[in-house]
Amino acid sequence: MWQQRELIWNLTIVDLKNRYQNTALGFFWSLLSPLLQALVLYFVFRHLFGREENFAINLLVGIMAWQFFATGTSSSLNAIVGKSRLVTRVYIPRQILVLSNALTTLINSLLAFLVLLPIIFVLVGHLPATVLLFFLIHIIYFWFIYGAGLLLSSLYVYFRDLNQIWDVLVRVLFFCSPIFYPLTIVPAYLMPYYTLNPVTQFIAIYRDVMVTGNLPSLFSIAVVVGFAIAAYLVGSFTFSKLQRRFAEELG
Amino acid sequence: MSTITVDNVSKKFRIPHEKKTTVLQNIAGLIKRQFSYEEFWALKDVSFEVNKGEAFGIIGRNGSGKSTLLKILAKILYPDSGSVSLDGKVASFLQLGVGFQSELTAKENVYIYSSILGLGRKQVKKVYDEIIDFAELKKFENMKLKNFSSGMNVRLAFATAIHTGPDTLLLDEVLAVGDEAFQKKCRERMNQFKTEGKTIVFVSHALNAVKELCQRSMLLNEGRIVTMGDTEKVINDYLAMLQRSSPR
Repeated sequence: MWQQRELIWNLTIVDLKNRYQNTALGFFWSLLSPLLQALVLYFVFRHLFGREENFAINLLVGIMAWQFFATGTSSSLNAIVGKSRLVTRVYIPRQILVLSNALTTLINSLLAFLVLLPIIFVLVGHLPATVLLFFLIHIIYFWFIYGAGLLLSSLYVYFRDLNQIWDVLVRVLFFCSPIFYPLTIVPAYLMPYYTLNPVTQFIAIYRDVMVTGNLPSLFSIAVVVGFAIAAYLVGSFTFSKLQRRFAEELG
Repeated sequence: MSTITVDNVSKKFRIPHEKKTTVLQNIAGLIKRQFSYEEFWALKDVSFEVNKGEAFGIIGRNGSGKSTLLKILAKILYPDSGSVSLDGKVASFLQLGVGFQSELTAKENVYIYSSILGLGRKQVKKVYDEIIDFAELKKFENMKLKNFSSGMNVRLAFATAIHTGPDTLLLDEVLAVGDEAFQKKCRERMNQFKTEGKTIVFVSHALNAVKELCQRSMLLNEGRIVTMGDTEKVINDYLAMLQRSSPR
């Protein structure tokens, strides 16, 4: 893959240019949607959870982390099918198409989180030193999303209604993640299942390092690394099996 | 010695009676127990070798398996059995201009297309002037590709593709691009490749082009090798076969 880094980078740049072409405010629009979503959720739920510490900023961090997962996985569905000519007419290692798609979302989300920093500074009063750990956790999260992307993009070649199914699953997962409500409202007997949601684990660490300034425990880091490795192994195993007949299916 | 070795390659296509492309259809098929499909052997036990520096032609009727074979050589399709090995850097010209972006300029596209064909930025920089001169598009290098004519498009693609420095070229009918003058230039370039000792595999319906370029050829019919050897003889076999199947 390292030998192909220029190709990966070129495809990512082309993706970014296509996504923002002809929009003067390009990136601004992609930021607007999560910000508006956060605003709506804030006004709807502030009466319920507004007294929680750092409710507004926790909501924003949660939405941004969520957005990375939601757009990263949803756009990966089309990484192979949408680039079928690069599969059927020429040979490049096909993982590259998924990786460059994931990188496009990564760049987007890095910019979005960057915008968040001054907001944290204003709302919390200071930036915790642990914010430097953001990059570490973001790379682990990226690897998790790339692994999920490998799985989804290869399955989508064979099952073209997967986008509708995934759409529903993503919506369900949104409400099963502590984005606009605190973890404390989750009933104790559900907690073991609730924490199986990888997004929950990631969001908790983002809030630790970006808002409260707590060092995440080694255990919680090990858990998210475990999720990332598992997603990558399952994804790349499935992908390498299924890619053999990609060109036939997409013909 | 040989750069291309194809050993007992077979390729089977499955043609389902009812194509299922969604989870729902698959579940429905599971309940109704519909799993029937027809098998179609696009290639059956194909073996041959191409030596370094040789130009090798593959001819045959439509659906004889030529393009399937070329796609297997290019690693786009996987063989169901048998093995294929190619040495050195391979450039497959199954279609020109794959990955061209109409919203970007000719120059940007040369860099992107080169990287798809496996060339680094530094290497492209060295041959960029040659590419744009060969394509005769110096004046238009900063124009967006969407304003190009199809002929300009294909010239740019071809010029880029031949400058990627391959050891082996896989060609599928792509020599018939551009106008007469450009085609002549392409043929000259192919002959130059040959004298430089590059290996060429050429699939075509244009028998004259095959005769001109290739010393040795192979005739495929229904996925099997009919004859292989001297191009002149193989072409005669092919013409005889065509006559037999459609007596006038």
